[in-house]
Formats: sequence, C-alpha cells, structure tokens
Amino acid sequence: MSTLGEGRNDQRREAIRQTLVLGAGAGPEAGAVAAAVLGVWHRIGECLVPMIGARGVEALFGRALQLTASAFPWLAAAGEDKTSLAGVAARLASRDPQAAAEASVALLATFTELLATLIGASLTDRLLDPVWTVSTPPAGQETRP
Amino acid sequence: MTDRMNIMQLATGVPGLDSILGGGLPEFSFNLITGPPGSGKTTLAHQLMFALTTRERRALFFTVLGEPPLKMLRYQQQFSFFDAARINDTIRFVNLAEEAASGDYERVLARILKEVEAFTPGLVFVDSFRSVLAEAGPRTDGISSQQFIQQLGVQLSSWQATTFLIGEEPTQDNAHPVYTVADGLLYLCQSLYRNSMVRKIQVLKLRGQATSPGIHTFRITGDGIEIFPAAVVPGDSGAAQAPRTAPVRTARLAMGVPGLDEMLGGGLPSGYSLLVAGPSGSGKTILATAFLAEGVRLGEPGVIVAFEQTPSQSWTRTIDNLVRSGKLGLINTRLLDLSIDEIVQHLIESIQRMGASRVVIDSLSGFELAVAPTFREDFRESLFRMISVLSGLGVTVLMTSELEDRYTDLRFSSYGSAFLTDAIIVQRYVELESRLKRVMAVVKVRGSAHSDQLRQYEITGEGIVIGDPVTGCAGLLSGRPRRTRSGLP
Repeated sequence: MSTLGEGRNDQRREAIRQTLVLGAGAGPEAGAVAAAVLGVWHRIGECLVPMIGARGVEALFGRALQLTASAFPWLAAAGEDKTSLAGVAARLASRDPQAAAEASVALLATFTELLATLIGASLTDRLLDPVWTVSTPPAGQETRP
Repeated sequence: MTDRMNIMQLATGVPGLDSILGGGLPEFSFNLITGPPGSGKTTLAHQLMFALTTRERRALFFTVLGEPPLKMLRYQQQFSFFDAARINDTIRFVNLAEEAASGDYERVLARILKEVEAFTPGLVFVDSFRSVLAEAGPRTDGISSQQFIQQLGVQLSSWQATTFLIGEEPTQDNAHPVYTVADGLLYLCQSLYRNSMVRKIQVLKLRGQATSPGIHTFRITGDGIEIFPAAVVPGDSGAAQAPRTAPVRTARLAMGVPGLDEMLGGGLPSGYSLLVAGPSGSGKTILATAFLAEGVRLGEPGVIVAFEQTPSQSWTRTIDNLVRSGKLGLINTRLLDLSIDEIVQHLIESIQRMGASRVVIDSLSGFELAVAPTFREDFRESLFRMISVLSGLGVTVLMTSELEDRYTDLRFSSYGSAFLTDAIIVQRYVELESRLKRVMAVVKVRGSAHSDQLRQYEITGEGIVIGDPVTGCAGLLSGRPRRTRSGLP
C-alpha cells in the first residue's frame, strides 16, 4: 500500500476516534462507547443506504465485522445475532471501556477501508464525510428505532 | 415571425452523439437507452450524466436491481469522465431495490417522485427500468407496467427533467408501451462476426428532429464512449455537409516525381482522388510518399493513413521525419476491428487539425484487412462514402491498391474502386530483353488531357525516376511483348 493511502487511512482512523470520543464523552463507560458506535452506524446508514441499498450496507458490515474479529475475536460471537448491530453493541458494552473503544475504532475503520477498496478512497471520504463532521448527540439519547 | 416554441437541445458531451441525434438531446425529453448486457448502456448513461450535469441542472440516478450500485460505482470510476467530487453534490445516486422488490409499481413511482421533488434534478436516470418491470411482474391490482411508464414519463416531463430509462429490451416486439411513450430511443449492441467485436449504436426514434439514420459504430475507451457517425454522402441531405472548403479549382498539384506531372497533363487536379494500382514492390508507397513530401515542401500539409508497415525503408524515414516535424498527420493503426467510419472520423479530425490538402491512404488492401470482417461485405460502398466525404472537404486523395500481376486482363483494383476515383495510375512489371522492368501509365484523369505513354521507371535511393517511353514493343501488358516493325534494328 502506498504511503499516501496509509496516511489517508490514519486520517480516517483519527476522525473515527474523535467522533466516538465526541459521542461517548471523555473517560466513558463501555456502554457509552457502544451507544456512540450505534450513533455513528446510524449516520453511516443514512449516508449509504439510499445509495447502495440496505442489503449492500449489511453485506459490507458483515465483512468488516469478520475482518475486525481476527484482532478482537470476542466481537464476533457465534449464534444468531452474529452480525446484528444490537449484538455487537451488547458485546462492546460488556467489555472494559478501553477494549470497547479500540474495537469500535477498528470496526468502523475496517468498514470504511473496505468501502474504499471497492469504490475508491475519494468517493468513500466524500460519501461518509457527514458522518465524521456532524457532532454526535450526547450518549444515551441515541437509540435505534 | 412565428411563435413556434423552440426546443432547447442539450449538448451531450459524448463524441459523435450530438451529430447522430441531429444536433443534441431535446431538453425535458423522455429517453430510453436499450441494448443487451455489456453493450455500454450504463457507461453511456454515466457519461451523459457527468457531461450534462451543472449547478443548475442536477442529476438523480436511480439504481434498481441488476448491477449492484457498489459495483457500478467501482467500475464507472475507471472512466475519466467520472468525477467523484460531484457525487452527493450535483449528482445523487438513489437505490430503489427495496421498492422494486415489493413488486408495487405505485411504491416505486412514489419513491421516484418523492426523491425528484426533494432534489429537483434536471436529469433523471433509472437503471434499469427492465428490472423494475421484471420485479413487479404482471399484476392485476394497482397500476400496470404500461401505466407506470406512462406516468413516469408524464410526471418527470412536468418536473422539467430530461429522463433516461436504461434497460435491456423489454420485449422483442416494438409495440411495448415503453417504446410508444419514449421521445427518444437509443439502441446499443455489440456484434460478433468471425473473431472481431464491433459496437454499434442506432437512434431508433427521436421526436421532433432529424436524426442521422443507420447504424453507427462506437468504441469504449478510458475516456468513455466515442461514436463514429456513419459518413454521409454529400448531396443526399442538404444540411449534412458543409460547403466544399476548397472550391473546385483548375489548380493542379505537383506529384513530386519528375516527369509524372507532365504525364498527368500538368499535375493532379486539386480535389481529385487518384488511385495508384500496382503489384507488390512496384513503388506505390514511394510514389505516395513523394506526393506528400512535395506537398510539405510547397506548404501543403498532408495526412497519411498507413496500414502497411515495412520498417527501415527510406520512405518510412521520410514519413517519420515529416510527422515528427509536425507537417504531416499520421493515422497508423494495427487494430483489426475498425469500422470505416471510425477511420473517416479520425481522418477528418486530422485533416482539419493539420489544415491538410493532401491525403494518402496506403493501401486499400491493408485498409480492407484492418476493418472488422463484418464491414468487409460493404467495403466498396463504404469506400464510396469515404471518397465522397473527402472530396466534400476539398482535399486531394491518393490511394494505393495492391494489384495481382495478371496479364490476361487489365484491372486496376479489386473493389471496383477504379470507377470511384477521378484519376488512375497503373504500375506493372514487364519483361523486356530478359529483364523485369517496371512501367507506369496514366490510365485516366477525369476531364483532362493526359499522356497515354507507357513509361519505364526505376526506383533509386532518390525515389522514382521516370525514364523513356517504351517504344518498339507491343503487347507489354499482356506479359508477352513483341517487337514492332519500328523497333526492329
């Protein structure tokens, strides 16, 4: 991979980290981290679903989860809710805050990098830009309908 | 004087498309782009979209089933026209898979209209309407497919959106409602013949304007689609051809071969087409090179379409040097799936860019090999059109033609192209005093006196050197010369 691509990935990771911190607050509980991830994921859905369809986004999420699970095996549990977002959030909430934060950043970064390998970095950044710039509502208020 | 409304034509930005559409795409028209898979429909749609979209005229691209949007974005990005910076700004993609999967036309229509209302686009694309129809299937409740298309057409025109439905042919018969509703109908296909593939496009219908009929070829490159409008013979349509840029003059062009101008009656009349026919190695290309070099020397730029490659010969170097110095345009192709219209298109561009007045096509035999097999049957016809177009431009054309050395008949070309040209020079090998000699004669120069002599010539390092007339012999062209009385010692 080129250094330019790596730089871009680093930038994206940093944006994800900041967005999550903004959403979960400094020194958060693992539950707040999980809620922040749900909030970010909701906005990703708002950006991508109209364009590539809910199925397309789900498929990407499943793949991203599988890739992230190689570093955080506890993130992908076996069973029915293997790829369900609520299941992932619950598993995040059950960890210590540090691990939950690291896994969250890794999962969202993997997702965006995966998207970038498919449609290119510039289009990915363009599509997901609103996700990282919009300030997150305070943790706890964000719930999936 | 009249209050007749003028429909604004949009310049499509797809090379050649405006020309076959008859000027451009009517604003607010409802168009269909159809064709089998892989024929370039989605690419054409994207190219149109990126070219037509402006701040004031935004675009909404609906994807239905069929090609997954991620894939489409991935592959369309490979084209130079794709501009990621405009996505979600002036261009929006909307996925309709969910509505389409419900099988309810009204839901699909409602979603389309909702999005159109919210974004107020000037351009709407639906890729593909075929999957909308297939997904919904024949239904008895709600609106029918016919009503769906009808309403879509009506609604989008009212929203002042130029609309494109993209899809495979809904049915084989042209009576499908979608054909009736559409204002414009573009059909793309790729035809496979022998081992070559040629892409073709046809404007089957476009309300309110004179389109260019017939089948046009196109090519897809990294820059997208380039269409090569079928060459139109001047005179068969009043507007199609610009007036001759160079008026018919009595001016004559110097050939660059000493003695040849005299044989032609004072040079080749300007604007004429000349066929140089002869067997392999008789010096046709050398003659053509001399013609171009002489033009450059006199400040008359030229263009050569070279199909024959014999490197490391002196004439090649001459051509190379002229091309490098920018005084000669070279169209050199090794592709074997060309359409004649593609060559003509490139030739016209090159002629206009160079301001060329001399054109060489070397050779018709190589040309015939280079065009895709599917066009070979119509080669003669296409050649006729090409010569007409070139003569319409006022350029003087020299074409070479490989000739089998036959001594039983006197032929000038294998395509019957001889009658198409204004002048003919024939080159032959003859046996003279146990030597193989070259002779050349001017067979015809339309409307002009010319020499009727058979002249011997030699090819030297300097080019062609024309010698004396062959006298004292008869029956040279039969391959069995006999001495005539005057030639006897």
